[in-house]
Amino acid sequence: MQPFAIIRPKRVDQARELVVGKPELRVFRAGGVDLFDRMKEGIEDPELLVELRDALTAGVELTKDQPLVPVDTNPLPPAPRYVSAGALTTLAQLAAAALPGVDALHQAAGQAATPGIRNTATLGGNLLQRPRCWYFRNRELVCLKKGGDTCLAITGDSRYHAILGGGPSFIVHPSSLATALLALDAVASVFVGDEQASPQPVLPLHELFVGPEQDPTREHKLAPGDLLTRVWIPVLDDMRSAYQAVREKRSHDWPLVEAAARLRLDQGGSMRDVRVALGHVAPIPWNASQAAALLEGQTPSAKLFAQAADAALADAAALEGNAYKIPMAKGLLRQVLHRASGLALPE
Amino acid sequence: MPGKTKLSVGYGPNIKTINVELPPSEPRPWDTVDDMTVVGTPQPRIDGPLKVSGEARYTHDIALEGLLHAAVLRSPWPCAKVSRIDVGPAAKQAGVGAAIALVGVGDKLIFAGQDVAAVAATRPELARAALASIIVEYEPQPFVVQTRDAMRDGSPQVHEAAVEERRTGADEPGAERAQGKLSGNVRPGRSQKRGDAKRALNKAPVRFEATYTTQCHTHSCLETHGVVVRWNGKKAATVWASTQSIFGVRDEFAALFGLEPSKVQVITNFMGGGFGSKFGANASGTALAKIAGDLARAADKPVKLMLDRAEEHVCTGNRPDSIQLVKLGATNKGKLTAIHVQAHGTAGIGTGAGVGRNAASVYTKVPDVLVESADVFTHAGPAVAFRAPGHTQGAFAMESAIDELARQLGMDPIDLRLAHDAHPVRRWQLELGRERFNWDARRKAAADMRARNTRVRKGVGCAVSIWGDFGGTEARVTIEIGRDGRVVVKNGVQDIGGGIGTVMAQVAAEVLHRPVEEIEIQIGDSKLGPGVGSGGSKTTSSITPAVRNAAELAKAELAELAQTALEVNSTKNLRWTAEGVSVGRQTLSWADLCKRIEGEAIVAVGFRARNSAAHPRSFPGFETPEIAGAQFAEVEIDTWTGEVRCTQVLALHDCGRVMNELTLRSQINGGIILGTGYALMEERVMDPSLGVMLNANLEQYKACGVKDVPEISIVLTEVISGNNSTGAYGIGEPATIPTAAAIANAVGDALGVHVRSLPITPAKILDALEQQQRASQGGTK
Ligand SMILES: Cc1cc2nc3c(=O)[nH]c(=O)nc-3n(C[C@H](O)[C@H](O)[C@H](O)COP(=O)(O)OP(=O)(O)OC[C@H]3O[C@@H](n4cnc5c(N)ncnc54)[C@H](O)[C@@H]3O)c2cc1C
Repeated sequence: MQPFAIIRPKRVDQARELVVGKPELRVFRAGGVDLFDRMKEGIEDPELLVELRDALTAGVELTKDQPLVPVDTNPLPPAPRYVSAGALTTLAQLAAAALPGVDALHQAAGQAATPGIRNTATLGGNLLQRPRCWYFRNRELVCLKKGGDTCLAITGDSRYHAILGGGPSFIVHPSSLATALLALDAVASVFVGDEQASPQPVLPLHELFVGPEQDPTREHKLAPGDLLTRVWIPVLDDMRSAYQAVREKRSHDWPLVEAAARLRLDQGGSMRDVRVALGHVAPIPWNASQAAALLEGQTPSAKLFAQAADAALADAAALEGNAYKIPMAKGLLRQVLHRASGLALPE
Repeated sequence: MPGKTKLSVGYGPNIKTINVELPPSEPRPWDTVDDMTVVGTPQPRIDGPLKVSGEARYTHDIALEGLLHAAVLRSPWPCAKVSRIDVGPAAKQAGVGAAIALVGVGDKLIFAGQDVAAVAATRPELARAALASIIVEYEPQPFVVQTRDAMRDGSPQVHEAAVEERRTGADEPGAERAQGKLSGNVRPGRSQKRGDAKRALNKAPVRFEATYTTQCHTHSCLETHGVVVRWNGKKAATVWASTQSIFGVRDEFAALFGLEPSKVQVITNFMGGGFGSKFGANASGTALAKIAGDLARAADKPVKLMLDRAEEHVCTGNRPDSIQLVKLGATNKGKLTAIHVQAHGTAGIGTGAGVGRNAASVYTKVPDVLVESADVFTHAGPAVAFRAPGHTQGAFAMESAIDELARQLGMDPIDLRLAHDAHPVRRWQLELGRERFNWDARRKAAADMRARNTRVRKGVGCAVSIWGDFGGTEARVTIEIGRDGRVVVKNGVQDIGGGIGTVMAQVAAEVLHRPVEEIEIQIGDSKLGPGVGSGGSKTTSSITPAVRNAAELAKAELAELAQTALEVNSTKNLRWTAEGVSVGRQTLSWADLCKRIEGEAIVAVGFRARNSAAHPRSFPGFETPEIAGAQFAEVEIDTWTGEVRCTQVLALHDCGRVMNELTLRSQINGGIILGTGYALMEERVMDPSLGVMLNANLEQYKACGVKDVPEISIVLTEVISGNNSTGAYGIGEPATIPTAAAIANAVGDALGVHVRSLPITPAKILDALEQQQRASQGGTK
């Protein structure tokens, strides 16, 4: 790691200004967990860290309010209430919040990384962290993400790589919160203008992330200097959700696969407003819309869940070393659907 | 002192009297009759407060006036010729005191991570930055990093000529040297033989055959390898080293620089883990002491070279992988008639991929046995001894095969083991474990879950270990009893975390009837007299007898002073207690007794005699005891996702006389934790097409974390063997041998199908389940 300076602007527009000027040498620091790892690994050597502690907020609450949005953007999905969390809210705070309907978020935040990291890592930093791929993180290798001409997972060891939506890069998106928030139909507020007064846009989570066909060198849409300020989750009446991951280790480890689901049970016991997401299977948090479509309006059953899991993985294509992720993702998704719907898991 | 004497030895209720012959001056070994008051009790580490408060200074913490920090440029290529090298530009960088080339034009580099050049600078980050300015041009050559690929005809050849086998004090004592001729990348090596296994297999009515594989496992020492070198003139040096062998470092450093060993002082006050990899001055894959010494000379300043985490994985050694074809022959009634193991493994560019003694020496009732090991060379960092070298690989394959054969024969795997193992202590352990682990009921429950095809399964397994007491006679322990009553015990041994200093204090306290806290222990410096390398689990059994013998000599001198003072006829009439020494109602306090010492202090030097007995059974090829162990494991598996956890381990170990129950249990815990990581997650991953290690960190190289540790219970099956004056043996290595095998057998019990490859990841569980399902759908039953 090379020496650097650190600055702590008071306002979000000042923060943006500092980075926009020299995007190669200046970078935001929230919790710094991912950023310092990149610096220690020698894949980035920024000169100035722009600390967000005073410019953004932490804290999570249940509210009826919605943010002001510019006239030409879509507002939040309609809901009686929203969970609203500032970008600096830590994973530990998200895990402990105990808010209705958003168990998937509590569980994703509570199982990520380690207690120490969860006390430091933030919502914004978690969503915008860079991939953990062992080719990308090796300073001596030039992979597609770092301007090389091919994804090294194709000829290399791909046990932790993508089975869905891969190509030309086969990384998996690292964020557990993204998996949960995608299932929860969340929306992010971003700060892209320098005028603080005018309404800033919101982005549905699936629009925040950029797949490798679009641009393999990045994972999200924000330009250098743009900030993620807040996340909104619509809380529908009788909403339920669940999240689960498979890891080789019980702590201090990344998921091999993760799954999250959100739904409502109507009075007849049918599932409504179903959303299903998978994580660590694709370069972006993966929206398993075929599975959701299959479940919509149906009553929960083990058989149906197995069908939905098959549908979610129907397009999966394994590389040399990651075929195991297909049955694993199916098994995991079945469990998550049981838990989200309340249908008891078989022994 | 005794020549011939009788000792009461044994274990559990099996105690008997044996005759032993002792050298003159050797005290009668403590046997089952002796009542210990300090030895054997749980004693907290005497240096615990220093360690937890951060006051303990490790090699990493050494700071000296003018100290420079070194960094090493390493080959990015698995195989390449050097066509140009110029360190000149580095010498001109900010803060740089010296820059040296470690290879020349035309040299061939044969693994990614090999030494190329080195720099010393005033700060570590300046040294690293300066490396970037070194000009090196490489001509990359074809390479091979996977064992199976390297075994194929026509694969790039790693070594063109015969390879000298390199041994360290941590290698398994007595293991045969490899001697076969190199063919391609394969060199046949060690073999162990009894009868004619091939013929017996041909005749066997029941045969079982399977191939087991294990991964390359890195030591991952928390304190990385490193040294600080300070020259004291041209012909003498002080070396601070993170080492398991102070004298090994001293001798190698002296040889590297052509010095008198006595002119090299080596200091290791505290060290953070070695596991077999820290024996010499240099590490197996990087000449770190040579580099630091050369840089220190060139810069005329002391130099510190501590490796970083990636270097630690890549060039300081590892446990070789293995591919083991195991063939068993048996009768229909479950009598094993033949064992044949053909093992290949890669120690990278180095040697020593044998698979230990489980197959040949545990099941001694099997008449015909052949175990053949071969080294396969690959373009990867050289292996080095790793906690029970060869044995964990060998135990996994052999103990798995025993379980699979038992399943095939419809037998209980413990019964199959008992029928072929003659070691009475291991048999006792298996019976005890069967009962304590509730084996029969748990096996039934597992079978029931399998039959009902439940989503969550549990299973249990067991496996055994073999090791020997390899304690040596080379250590010389000095004890000083001052006129002021102070007791100082000195030896140049290093404490690698096992807690030898604490046990030394206990032994001296026991002999002298002094409180443990009043014994001052001085270790960790070559100036303190010959110690012993901490490898082969021999520290306690080499050092504690020497401490006892020194203390007995010093006590004999004190006894003479007491005899005069108390006016008794014989020292035999003296009674030693915590209060001092007494005869009848008269007591001389310790302080008053010591005041009678003439001059400054009594100084006595003690050493361990050769082994005096080996009850109840000696290690094959040795006169010393064979150490038995057995472990039982329980696993829980989610068959939908493949997640597998080891939930419980019951460990039953023979450890000679228990010296310090607390540190002993700590060693066993550590062995099990290491074994659990080996069983389920640790694995060096090499990219086949780039030839580099992909997970050279502690994030993707997955060692057990606190939550991965099973619930551990330990049963100490103490054995008094009469081997030496304290009766200690070692435990560090035996405790890790059976863990992975027991876990694998538990997985087999849970699934009804064995996973034959370590680590047993969720991916492999899912694969095994899929194959099982396919087999049952195929209707071939
Ligand atoms: C061993 C280990 C295991 C882990 N396991 C998991 C896991 O299971 N699941 C998981 O999700 N994560 C896991 N993590 C990753 C960890 O959760 C993330 O590194 C962390 O959440 C990043 O948050 P941060 O606040 O520290 O981000 P930072 O490091 O501060 O920032 C990350 C990036 O985002 C940018 N950034 C941060 N905030 C903003 C903002 N508001 N607007 C614009 N840009 C911003 C920064 O410039 C930087 O590039 C693990 C990490 C480790 C080391």
